[in-house]
Amino acid sequence: MGEAGERKVVPTGAKVVAAVMIPAIAALNYAGGVIVEVLKLPIWGDTWATMLGTLISGFWVGAIGGFLYNIIMALTLWGLPAWVWGFCNVLIALFTWIAIKMGWADIHKPVRLIPACLIFGFIYPIFCTIIGVGLFGGGPLAKPLPAMVYSATLAATKNFWLANYVQNISCEIPDKIASFIISLIIADRVPEKFKLMRR
Amino acid sequence: MSSLATSILRRSVAEVDTPMHRIDPRVKFLFFIWISVWAYIFLDYVLTAIFLTTVLILTFIGKVFSKTVKAVAIVVVPWMAVGIPILSALFPWNKTLIYNLQLFGYNIPLYYEGAAWGVVWPLRIGVCLASAMFFLFTTEPVKLIALLFEFKMPFRFIYAVTGALQFTPILLDDLQTIIQAQRSRGMRTDVSLLKRLANYPVLIVPLTLSALNKVQIRAIALESRGFSAPVKKTWPYDLSLKRIDYIFLAGIIITTIIFIYIYIVYGFSPISHLKFYLAAG
Amino acid sequence: MSREPIVVYENFSYSYPTTPNALVDIDLKIYRGEVFGVIGPNGAGKSTFCKSLNGLVPHFYGGTVKGRVLVDGMDTLEHTTSELSMKVGLVFQEPETQLSGLALTVEDEVGFGLSMLGFPSEVIRKRTREALEKVGLKGFEKRSPSELSGGEQQRLAIATVLAMEPEIMVLDEPVALLDPIGKSEVLSVVKELAVEGSTIVIAEHEIEELAYFADRILVLNEGKMVSLDDSKKVLSEVEKLKKIGIDPPSVTELAYLLERDLGIKLEYPITLPEALKIFGELMEGG
Repeated sequence: MGEAGERKVVPTGAKVVAAVMIPAIAALNYAGGVIVEVLKLPIWGDTWATMLGTLISGFWVGAIGGFLYNIIMALTLWGLPAWVWGFCNVLIALFTWIAIKMGWADIHKPVRLIPACLIFGFIYPIFCTIIGVGLFGGGPLAKPLPAMVYSATLAATKNFWLANYVQNISCEIPDKIASFIISLIIADRVPEKFKLMRR
Repeated sequence: MSSLATSILRRSVAEVDTPMHRIDPRVKFLFFIWISVWAYIFLDYVLTAIFLTTVLILTFIGKVFSKTVKAVAIVVVPWMAVGIPILSALFPWNKTLIYNLQLFGYNIPLYYEGAAWGVVWPLRIGVCLASAMFFLFTTEPVKLIALLFEFKMPFRFIYAVTGALQFTPILLDDLQTIIQAQRSRGMRTDVSLLKRLANYPVLIVPLTLSALNKVQIRAIALESRGFSAPVKKTWPYDLSLKRIDYIFLAGIIITTIIFIYIYIVYGFSPISHLKFYLAAG
Repeated sequence: MSREPIVVYENFSYSYPTTPNALVDIDLKIYRGEVFGVIGPNGAGKSTFCKSLNGLVPHFYGGTVKGRVLVDGMDTLEHTTSELSMKVGLVFQEPETQLSGLALTVEDEVGFGLSMLGFPSEVIRKRTREALEKVGLKGFEKRSPSELSGGEQQRLAIATVLAMEPEIMVLDEPVALLDPIGKSEVLSVVKELAVEGSTIVIAEHEIEELAYFADRILVLNEGKMVSLDDSKKVLSEVEKLKKIGIDPPSVTELAYLLERDLGIKLEYPITLPEALKIFGELMEGG
């Protein structure tokens, strides 16, 4: 216990930090996208900060920050309907949060990461497919590898939905796994004092 | 593409004055939503192309034509270039043959339905994109924020949205510095995939730590300036509707009536008569 | 400088949640109109001290507190930082990061604090004009804050604080990250404010500069008070300062070495004009 006269004070900084953290998450998602372009990596790289935000500041910061990123992209580059992908980002925050609660988010125990990776790699693309077909026509992506996967599946099975799903899996598995791992590594390295402001 | 986005985020609206600039941001925002919705209601590449052209004409009047066209082209053109060939060959609901392509000794039939599908969807997005650019490029940022205040959004939310637009260029500047520093330490981007993947944390870790540090500092600075004070915040910019706004709004209302008429009488694909597919064919 | 205390520390101790004993038994008064310098090695608690003046310590971070801090009669433990922000204005080290992130023009940035507190537009406009003039940024109203140089941004931060018309201005190493031009711009603004009679608390590494305009100086080390007295007295204790890792002004150290190594006893100067006078007399006297 404390000495005589010592008082413990309840910290009030969390709300302000969250207000600043949220745009930072959006900006970091954006920067992630730029980095993968510079390094010419075949992944999106623009949802990793959503995961990071969830890991260090809780579900709401990650979800809102990720959604905000999609709003910004919708307003500047991808067009109005793109804001709907924001829900995908919220989903990513949710899956990350589930991974934390189930103990699947420990970088020091790589085997435990597998269930989370499976969710990101196979369940998440289901939602991507629904949005992709419903709102964007379900055509092939303008990237060479996914487009080939799309064409091959479509030619082989004549199933429009399946072609979209397989195309999405081929993109999301490498992207989400890489993003998940990098966000875990960074969350692990973040000094205690930043995690202090966890909601 | 990222540099285009950066310039969008960083731009300060030049001291230009056109009739488009003078329209109230609420009206332009309404227009943006309105035309994007109609682009989705009609499944008709001719009509959608007309929408797109109209928006581009507005951007031309607003002297933001070249920026908008560039942004739209970057998204729409590659998409069509990949989509039209693949879909005209493989779209499951293809019926109407338009051409038989001879490739490497194979006969590949190309169909109308797939091609049309590959044209209309990018055009739809093009309309949404162009109208969004129109709204953004012809509105002063301070008026944009005033718009958010007008919508009575909670202040922390307004801060989060505009904060992101302000934070991103700062972060990207940091990133440039980090990239240059790493390059001078021998980081290369012309190497194998695995080596490039290894460079990913090298760039992202310092960037994140720097960003988190900035978050801390900004949070305490904001707090020191009364951010958390439980009072109604003042924003010193007002919006008010003028005559040109009413003219524009009238135009929107009239066009809506016309569209509704067309939809009811001629259906959702009045000119190109496309069909809508969703069930697994 | 009056003898009316505006800040009173009563045996104040503070521990962050993750760092104990950031400040230990701070007991002092700060008087209206004085320039109060705070020096110490890295980690001594200078930043914590500055933040304890407007309630960031303890409210923002949490942690444990002993004793209390009274700012113009207000107990910082009983009032929020927002309430204290009208009494105490805090300027931080980082020029661009401490800006609001919301204001798109310099004048909006200056008015930011007042906007946050809900002041009416006319008041904001008037105070913004006055603050910008005071820091020498008149004419910069419509510029974007991120386009300014480091020195201009720091002056902008000072203007933001001035607009709120606080009783006390606190600066936490304001010139640490600036180039020489920026440094001199900012310090000259601070000196002018000092001359006009503002109460200023300034934590600094630039002891040479501080010697010119600080009335009293507090020396901190590991969270504890080491010395608190008139600048001249504090900076003349060369050995004490050097032992905890602070470099006194060069001229002071020179006088000390003259005494220690050559047996020449004289008054220790702390600024160049003083040194000129003292050493000049020494050399003329033979």
